Amino acid sequence: MLDTSQETRLTTSLDENVQTVKKVFKNDADFSTRSFHLFNNIPATSLFISSLVDKEKINRDIIQPLQEKRSSNNEESANSTKKDLLQSLLNDYLYFADGEKKQDLSSLLDGLLHGKTVILLDGESQYLLLDTLKTEKRSIEQPETERVVRGPRDGFIEQMESNISLLRYRLPVPEFRVEPFEVGEKTKTKVSVCYLDNVVSDALLEEVIKRIQDISIDRILDAGYIEQFIQDNPRSPFPQVQNTERPDKAVGNILEGRVIILVDGSPFALIVPAVFNQFYQTSEDYAGRTIIMSIIRVIRFLSLIFSLTFSSLYITIVSFHPEMIPAQFVVAASSGRAGVPFPVVVEVLLMEVAMEILREATIRMPQQVGGALSIVGVLVIGEAAVSAGFVSPITVVIIALSTIGSFATPSYNAAIAFRLLKFPLIILSGFIGLLGLAVGLMFIINHMISLRSFGVPYLSPVSPWNKQGFKDSLIRAPLRWLTERPAELQPKDKVRVESGVESGPTNPFKRKGENDE
Amino acid sequence: MNKPSDKVTNLQLAFIIISTMLGVSMLGLTHFTVRGAGNAAPFASLVGIFIAFIGLMGYVLIGRRFTKDTLVGYNESILGKPIGRLCSFLIVIVFLALTGLETRQFAEAVQGSILPNTPMHISIIAMILLFATTSFQRVDTFASIHFFYVPLILIPIIIVVAPAFRDIEIYHMTPILGNDPTWGGFMNGALAVTQAIGNFVVIAMVIPFMKYPKKSWKGAVGGFWIAGFIVIFMTTMTVAVFGENEIKKMYWPLLNLGRMITIPGEVLSRIDAVLLVSWVYGVFTTLLSYYFLVVRGVCGIFRFHHYRVVSLITAPIIYGIAIFPRDIYTLYDYIRMFSSYGVVPLLVYPFFLLCISIIRKKKGGSV
Repeated sequence: MLDTSQETRLTTSLDENVQTVKKVFKNDADFSTRSFHLFNNIPATSLFISSLVDKEKINRDIIQPLQEKRSSNNEESANSTKKDLLQSLLNDYLYFADGEKKQDLSSLLDGLLHGKTVILLDGESQYLLLDTLKTEKRSIEQPETERVVRGPRDGFIEQMESNISLLRYRLPVPEFRVEPFEVGEKTKTKVSVCYLDNVVSDALLEEVIKRIQDISIDRILDAGYIEQFIQDNPRSPFPQVQNTERPDKAVGNILEGRVIILVDGSPFALIVPAVFNQFYQTSEDYAGRTIIMSIIRVIRFLSLIFSLTFSSLYITIVSFHPEMIPAQFVVAASSGRAGVPFPVVVEVLLMEVAMEILREATIRMPQQVGGALSIVGVLVIGEAAVSAGFVSPITVVIIALSTIGSFATPSYNAAIAFRLLKFPLIILSGFIGLLGLAVGLMFIINHMISLRSFGVPYLSPVSPWNKQGFKDSLIRAPLRWLTERPAELQPKDKVRVESGVESGPTNPFKRKGENDE
Repeated sequence: MNKPSDKVTNLQLAFIIISTMLGVSMLGLTHFTVRGAGNAAPFASLVGIFIAFIGLMGYVLIGRRFTKDTLVGYNESILGKPIGRLCSFLIVIVFLALTGLETRQFAEAVQGSILPNTPMHISIIAMILLFATTSFQRVDTFASIHFFYVPLILIPIIIVVAPAFRDIEIYHMTPILGNDPTWGGFMNGALAVTQAIGNFVVIAMVIPFMKYPKKSWKGAVGGFWIAGFIVIFMTTMTVAVFGENEIKKMYWPLLNLGRMITIPGEVLSRIDAVLLVSWVYGVFTTLLSYYFLVVRGVCGIFRFHHYRVVSLITAPIIYGIAIFPRDIYTLYDYIRMFSSYGVVPLLVYPFFLLCISIIRKKKGGSV
């Protein structure tokens, strides 16, 4: 049915046209037609899909002005330029920002399905498309996944229009581009690529657009679908595209020369390219004091490393290198393990698997039950396992530390990558001890170094080294020292902070010509 | 893609040299130097490093002359196709053998120090898997990997070796030329160092991928002397702590030094394991360099640019070479053979090439 209508033009007969459209929609409950007489004179029909439109708007802004009987001179002028009746309706009678005159059936159907109202007139093969879309949306709230102590509280929502407005509100410059695309053969999801024209590298932008245009799939139900299609290495456990719910973070990344991809229907914006550093940083880091925030970043990084290596390091030391344990501690370590029937590897694996089950269960549980479950999990299971002699108390401490470590990471997808990578490390170090741990870590490091996100090395600015970039990686240097945008993104405009600011504020209380002494 | 970020920088070249030079031999090098030169080991190391330095300058000079060619490339353009290919092939064979033998040496050291009960094959296979899955990457990734590991190698060495200052006995080091110095013995010790660190030849495969190949000497010289300093530092410390006679009895003197060290605070009662981990990193980067040269060399000779395929096909050969020596003694015989007849001539080789290229008036650039 739809295939034939691609080419079809409308006829001049109103009834025929309405029948054609009705044939397409058959008897869908929300497909509505409303016949009226234009200026009490010409038969007309408005078509719309009632579930998508704002009916009040149609009544007030379309039907009412068109049904009103006009004074004769207007009517005459309308009649005299009969050929352009539709255009004159748009020009003189309808107060619509988005109105178009079209003639083919396919864009009529497309418009209807996007919440537009179609006005068909008798004797016209053309029609008017008026935007009357109204969708349900929630209010703008603080994002659940990226909480901050200090910083703006607004977050993206599902509607792309609102999200773009949140970005525009923070970036009122003409160079800010929002380029529209449509992806998904069935879902026809709107996707926008946002960037700063005078900052972003052309090569990067071209690549992003090419990758988005290459996507051919029936559905895009979330930004995650787009992410899967545009990432460089789909086999890697590491996220190569960052997502955020925070408009301030998105704008910050646009200003660094990155590209933001907004997807209609998803409250997550995608940030490309993404390097590893970004996954343990938060937007709050830039709002606080340098030293404190640098230390906090180091803590987050350490906790990520902890979550990866702590349990396997414990296995290595206890079962392969007991000579490393200080003498005073040997007694405590070995007496705790006295009644445990398994080797350390099995013990740690058991506990880690239990922890992962608890974590997953806590996410899927209804919220009211979830809190109770996590307390039950941590207190009761841990305590019971120790007193039952399944695990030693030290193991429980180690597992708890490594699990908590992964929760300190702001980005869920990076944290979970590390948390699951620890399992191969546990097994390796259970088999060949220190060598296994070192070899496993080297596999991970080598993989991360060879990984690229849109051509940018994943571990930059550490390797390949970039001194300017390092000032905003593991540490966060004072803002006035961050004079350049990240070099690995090759921005057109490199300067972020004018060098004049670098010298610092002057003392207003110092009189001219007065010396410091 | 010829973006500037894809090029190797001088800093990265320096780090490639450091991490290539500090490798498997780190643990046992002092033993061989002392066996030849006795108390004069530190001084012999210095001489050995100077000899190696001459070779380094040769490769830098020829790299300046042929800015777009790798070792394989200028071999062919200087010596003509058949002879050039033969020379490249011999070089590849030397490094192929060295990769296998040093992997075995690594496995022996692992078995002797941390994993006495585990079959050696496991550590051999683990190491081969590691460098075989990495060596087919792009040159800039190769440089990044080296860059990343250098701090992980250097910092633990310094942490472990520096506290040994407390245990130094000055009389272990005097006289500076050793007791009863003989010319042959001294040069034996010096050449042991040259053989161990002469593996920087791999830079001949990297220089054409640099941002400014003409200025490669900056990175090369800098990296060489940092690594050279570390070698002298380690040799001096082990000799000063243990003395000539003790070292002759130890196969891995540096590891013994690590066992002696305790760090203040009693966090961990022994930290030789930390030293071993950093040594494993050093071994990996060195073998990665060797294997990188092998893979790129083979691909250059046969004009076959599927690095991944070559890297995976060559890996079993390496394994075969690694398990070939019967025990650690024959292993060291093979290693000495390959490094004295393979690596040392390679240090003279660039000057030979330079002379011929000047006579034949060949100059770089043609790929």
